Amino acid sequence: MKFRPKQDNLAGYAFIAPFIAGFLMFTIIPMLASLYLSFTSYDLFSSPQWIGLDNFTEMFTNDEKYWSSVKVTLIYVLAGVPLRLAFALFIAMQLNRASRGVGLYRTLFYLPSILGGSVAVAIMWRNIFGNEGMINALLFFVGIDKQILWYQDPMKALWTLILLAVWQFGSSMLIFLAGLKNIPKDYYEAASVDGANAVQQFFKVTLPLLSPIILFNLVMQTIAAFMTFTPAYIISKGEGGPLDGTLLYSLYLFQKAFSFFQMGYASAMAWVMLLFVALLTFVFFKTSKYWVHYESKGE
Amino acid sequence: MKKVVYAALSCMMTFSIAACSSSAPSNEASSSTVTGQEPIKLRIAWWGGTPRHEYTKKVIEMYEKQNPHVQIEEEYANYDDYWKKLAPQAAANQLPDIIQLDTSYFAQYANKGQLEDLTPYTQNGTIDVSSITEDVVASGKLNDKLYGMSLGVNALTVVMDEENVKKAGLQTPAPDWTWDDFEKLTIEVKNKTGSFGSNGLYPPDVFLPYYLRTHGQHMYSADGTSLGYTDDSLFVEYFQRKLRLVEAGAIPTPDLQAQLKGIEDDFIVKGTAFMSWNWSNQYIGFMETAKRPLALHLPPGPNQKEGMFLKPSMFFSIASNSKHKEEAAKFISFFLNDIEANKLIKGDRGVPVSSKVLEGIKPVLSPDQTRVFEYVNEVSKNSSPLSPMDPPGSAEVIKTLKDISEQILFKKITPEEGAAKFRQKANEILAKNKG
Repeated sequence: MKFRPKQDNLAGYAFIAPFIAGFLMFTIIPMLASLYLSFTSYDLFSSPQWIGLDNFTEMFTNDEKYWSSVKVTLIYVLAGVPLRLAFALFIAMQLNRASRGVGLYRTLFYLPSILGGSVAVAIMWRNIFGNEGMINALLFFVGIDKQILWYQDPMKALWTLILLAVWQFGSSMLIFLAGLKNIPKDYYEAASVDGANAVQQFFKVTLPLLSPIILFNLVMQTIAAFMTFTPAYIISKGEGGPLDGTLLYSLYLFQKAFSFFQMGYASAMAWVMLLFVALLTFVFFKTSKYWVHYESKGE
Repeated sequence: MKKVVYAALSCMMTFSIAACSSSAPSNEASSSTVTGQEPIKLRIAWWGGTPRHEYTKKVIEMYEKQNPHVQIEEEYANYDDYWKKLAPQAAANQLPDIIQLDTSYFAQYANKGQLEDLTPYTQNGTIDVSSITEDVVASGKLNDKLYGMSLGVNALTVVMDEENVKKAGLQTPAPDWTWDDFEKLTIEVKNKTGSFGSNGLYPPDVFLPYYLRTHGQHMYSADGTSLGYTDDSLFVEYFQRKLRLVEAGAIPTPDLQAQLKGIEDDFIVKGTAFMSWNWSNQYIGFMETAKRPLALHLPPGPNQKEGMFLKPSMFFSIASNSKHKEEAAKFISFFLNDIEANKLIKGDRGVPVSSKVLEGIKPVLSPDQTRVFEYVNEVSKNSSPLSPMDPPGSAEVIKTLKDISEQILFKKITPEEGAAKFRQKANEILAKNKG
């Protein structure tokens, strides 16, 4: 590469300056502040008091609700992410096969994701699963007279959240669709000449060639799922009920910070979450060499 | 490809995780300090629903017309969001000049030096308290300092659909009814009509303290460092009764209560419950939505007089960081004493505290509003002093009580276990107020 004159660099810096400034002010500095606050007791009204690791010991040894929120969040992620990805891949494959009206369907399927974390969707969801909501009305219509009380049982209430997450599969679907379009047709032709049926083609051709995309979606969706807040907040009206069944980690963090004014504790929770998600992502990448197939490597 | 994915991921992760960490929003600094008739800007914050926002804006307009040098900026939200917005403002020393507070958060703000002592303003007449009783003024005192002016008073009540009770062939209760009468009536309503006898006595942090008071005990200790009641059997009795009612299907389970979307959904409004435990100012809303006569009853006794009290519905306080305290005090005085303004406010912030206002707005009150005013007046002759103010940390204590109440009513734990668990957790939280 040729040496570039300094002015070029200057122009470059000028162009990225707005981003860097925003990144420092709204991301790095608040993050460092929250790192400091995680070692303090801070109620917003008086200045932070240094208490060392007390927040962390309280969290790990004495806070039932913390562990309950961890459990709820893990169930939410472990059930929600694979279901969402499987569903996204399934729809993407249908769309990849179809030729007419793909644009329309693609848009329709993507719609729920545009509505994404929005408040309106969460409110709609709450009403759909209400005792007199759409689901129970449908059940009644087909002759089942017994209402399902979705919000009386912690596990059922959590499943309404998981279903909402699965329904918002659009962005993963689009990425899968792009990946599927990139798989050369010749491979399938060759496979069928060799006598592979559709199922074999899916496992031997589609999945391996799509694995980098799967890794990408898996990591992105896992991170997003761990941080889910809006639906849980709206559907449980900020309480995380019933019986803490929808008290996701981020919702408990929010309660600690803004309802109980324990900013130090909430910051500590945020950092534990950051480290955990970072670790998980690291594990995904480290294990990826066993299951992700990169074409360039093989050739 | 691999590298790109790595880079993209690490960038996005950093960004999105950062959204979890907290940061305080800041407001633009208010204009430079000016005095006298120089134009000034006041900021005022309150919580409420749409009707309250509408008339409060009109009252503010009225004040601005009479005081052309004052310009008032409004900051309003619903109850839950309000506190989430106010706390970061306190942290940034950017509290509005006038803030509306209620008893649950009062001590939190007053104890941390966020509020101005209003005593000088009531003494020099800037805030006119000549037609307000001493007791009512004193309800805004903490540690002998006047941190807020009560805007109105409320009382507990059991709203009753007497028509429906009679239609079911049941007797409406005598004024001095007891908890046993209440339980009997509630279950009979269920058995005869299939409707709920009552709402779920929700939230527990309002009605458990009433029960404690009828037994001469209080929720919080006077110094706010522990629970006030010593006898766990009261907690146990209260929740055993509620559990019996839930098991009989005579009051709704907590999940039904949580599904209510608004007043038009409320059990008594829809006719699915015959009684509703509430604050007296809710009555007007019930009447307007239900469009059929409802009656106000005292909550059951024995010892109603010991249990009942006049609750300051909300306060106006002046932030200690305010640059225009004098002007803020003038506005509060106007809000409390101006008859024309109170013809707009009516009883929405509780029954007005000024006797002159009370007299002056009588002609514009609807029959429903008059009934509430009469009820509160009745209670005022038959009540006892307030319990100690909710201490800092009470928000978490209340959440703990709600959680435990839910666990009891869903039969995950017994009332006895609940009582012990609540005592332990609540005292742990309140112990932080020591020293």
